[in-house]
Amino acid sequence: MTLLAFCYLAVGFFAVAFVHRAWAIASMPVHLRWELAPVPHEASKAHYGGSYLEEYEWWTKPREKSLVSEGIYMFKEIVLLRGVWEHNPRMWTFSFPFHFGIYLLVAMAGCAFLAAWGLPLFGSLARMLAILGYCLGCLGTAGLLYMRLADPKLSAFTTPATCFNLLFLFLVFSTGAYSVFGLADFTGELAKLMKAFFTIDTTVALPAAARIHVVAAAAFLVYLPFTHMLHFLAKYFTYHEIRWNDEPMTAGSAMEAEVKALLSQPVEWAAPHIGADGKKNWVDVATQEVQK
Amino acid sequence: MTHRLKIEDFGRNPDRPLTQIDLEDLVPLPPPYDQAAALPKWKELTKEAKERFACNLDGVVALGLPKPKDAAEEQATVDRFVSGLKKLLTKENNWTFLQPLVLSLEYCAKCQSCNDSCPIYTASGSNDLYRPTYRSEVWRRLVHKYLKPGGALLARLKHGDIDLNWTTVSRLYELCYRCTMCRRCAQACPMGVDNGLITHELRKLFSQELGWAPKELHERGTQLQLKVGSSTGMNPEVVKDNIQFIDEEFAEESGLDATTPWDQEDADVLLIHNAGEIMSWPENPAAFAIILNAAGIKWTLTSDEPSYDGVNYGLFYDDFQLARIALKHAGTAKKLRAKKVLMGECGHQHKVMMTISDRILLGDLSIRRESCIPLLERIVFGGKIKFDPSKNNFPVTLHDPCNITRNLGIIEPQRRILRYLCPQFREMAPHGAENYCCGGGSGFAVMSGNNFGDWRKAIASRVKFKQVLEAFRDCAGPEVKKYVCAPCSNCKGAFRDMLEYYGAKEKSSIIYGGLVELIVNAMVGLKKPFIKWEEE
Repeated sequence: MTLLAFCYLAVGFFAVAFVHRAWAIASMPVHLRWELAPVPHEASKAHYGGSYLEEYEWWTKPREKSLVSEGIYMFKEIVLLRGVWEHNPRMWTFSFPFHFGIYLLVAMAGCAFLAAWGLPLFGSLARMLAILGYCLGCLGTAGLLYMRLADPKLSAFTTPATCFNLLFLFLVFSTGAYSVFGLADFTGELAKLMKAFFTIDTTVALPAAARIHVVAAAAFLVYLPFTHMLHFLAKYFTYHEIRWNDEPMTAGSAMEAEVKALLSQPVEWAAPHIGADGKKNWVDVATQEVQK
Repeated sequence: MTHRLKIEDFGRNPDRPLTQIDLEDLVPLPPPYDQAAALPKWKELTKEAKERFACNLDGVVALGLPKPKDAAEEQATVDRFVSGLKKLLTKENNWTFLQPLVLSLEYCAKCQSCNDSCPIYTASGSNDLYRPTYRSEVWRRLVHKYLKPGGALLARLKHGDIDLNWTTVSRLYELCYRCTMCRRCAQACPMGVDNGLITHELRKLFSQELGWAPKELHERGTQLQLKVGSSTGMNPEVVKDNIQFIDEEFAEESGLDATTPWDQEDADVLLIHNAGEIMSWPENPAAFAIILNAAGIKWTLTSDEPSYDGVNYGLFYDDFQLARIALKHAGTAKKLRAKKVLMGECGHQHKVMMTISDRILLGDLSIRRESCIPLLERIVFGGKIKFDPSKNNFPVTLHDPCNITRNLGIIEPQRRILRYLCPQFREMAPHGAENYCCGGGSGFAVMSGNNFGDWRKAIASRVKFKQVLEAFRDCAGPEVKKYVCAPCSNCKGAFRDMLEYYGAKEKSSIIYGGLVELIVNAMVGLKKPFIKWEEE
């Protein structure tokens, strides 16, 4: 019962924190355009970084927006860590196994869930994914921790929290690895827990090794929103809302209404040339004449 | 070799620079530019400058920030800095870039994947101070320690330590002007964190809260432009006189119509040049006039202050100065009922008018705005003007201005023109959206105070110079005349200084110029070659 309660608490907390964070970012005001090539939804131009602004009188042409191109770009970025591979191949050596290990474990959880509902084939698959996922995770986190401490380029930026995060992750992966190798049917135990989670079966009991792993993983879930490791959420916004947000302003749009409201806010910047007094709004300040 | 810098060092040892630059550490250039000793000596800082100004970063003084008189002034500066730091993170005072800034504040993984993409860091021989992440991390730690809840101990454990004092503030101000905001690092960041944006926002903090900005960008830049009409100091009469002189001179030389129409209402095109072209590269506005007239375009320049100058240095340091100038540019277009505003060959003008201002030019100020490059492509391939590409039969390479390529994605039209008109066109590597900055970006092209000009030419422009040499490696000697096409006024300023610093005209016969000059040079019916190798 205690284990299941902790799982509910952890998942619930994470879900609330995740939604809260996503909402906090999404509800920030519209910003000025700050796109950065390449913008992959420019389907026929993205391969060289081109945009619709290359077109003569671009406003008379239909916009070419390809969600498929964005999807392919993001797939390479998220699954293969394309950016790290291209710009930091040494780090990719460990960052890729770490991240890919997580993806495999998410897939493992999905398979365990299906196995719990009477699809035994997924149980075997889950075990395979668990072995691979936990091993890659251990390799990745240990390697990253070593790099963070040993590489002088990274160590100047390494804080106690960076080490703690990686050690915490290593704990999660290593307890998982211990369980998957030490228990006869670890993924079966996980499947049991998942079924209990969804059916509120408070009688579920797990072997000690699996219990320790589940507690570690759930605790990490609680800790995660307090760290920069929530970057998988932020990344959606940095790419879609900033780098690739090339939407031109159109008269009568919701964006125009929002900008008008933002421009009516008072300005408090203190430098004399700004001429703000805490009452004048953005339009007042931007349209006041400079003394000649 | 420079010692390893820690972030914590930033506020410590106030009386000596954090790092020293040794020219032997810089990334090597190919012969005959491989001897550091053969390059011009850097300007020595005068004793008076060292006594008066903060010189505590890298031995270079770009900004000439006076040292504080006493402890009270130091504390007042720190207090104002903290006040600005807070405003930077509020919706009311900084809605313009709040979301990108907060995301860059909170989600950097500190993986340093961006480092090697920075031409300044690379050129410096990997000096830690110039890492794109160094400046950002100082700011990040300051925010977490002094603004966020949780206290100093938690901030130290989670984000690392930093001291906030006058030394920190003055160094950070100077360090904001060691980045050209080219955003190459942002392209490299897997998280989408943007160190160029952080530089931009810090510059804004200093300008908008403390009133600190480089004289070249503020007093002699946006303020002069708003007072007189142009950052060059030209008032409307002088501009018209100069253009008239240019028209006559180039009509005589070329045998083509170089007449400039002024203040025409209902024109198809209101062309706005960077006024620096008129002063320093008159062949550029002349070439535009020749091309537009030959193509039969109904166009005009304006004598409205400050709209005859497309410069808007506000982009580099101050949102309000940017908005003031952009609104006036749009106001002129509205007054003249121009069908569209055409950006001349000026990268930052492109960025300001086409994207940055896009969301603040509302209602009847929302005039259509377009780069000159697609129009030039249309004219070149339109058939109305006859060209003879053999007139451009010399090696040509293309510099991609960051603001036109990486920031706007205008990459191929200029290449299609060059491939057609320049038989020996060759690319630099890398190019297009992945180009390297010329070293003059973010206002550097007009900044040369104290010994900053030397730093800029030796370090900020170094990787670009190396790229140029590599593009011409099959014809490296001075016997072959070579042309760097740089369709941006500030970039041309950087090339002028860079080529002069390295003696590249003498040693390698490399000159630079714009795109329109190459187009006119290839026109059939031109009396004399438009590109004058000796005068460049």
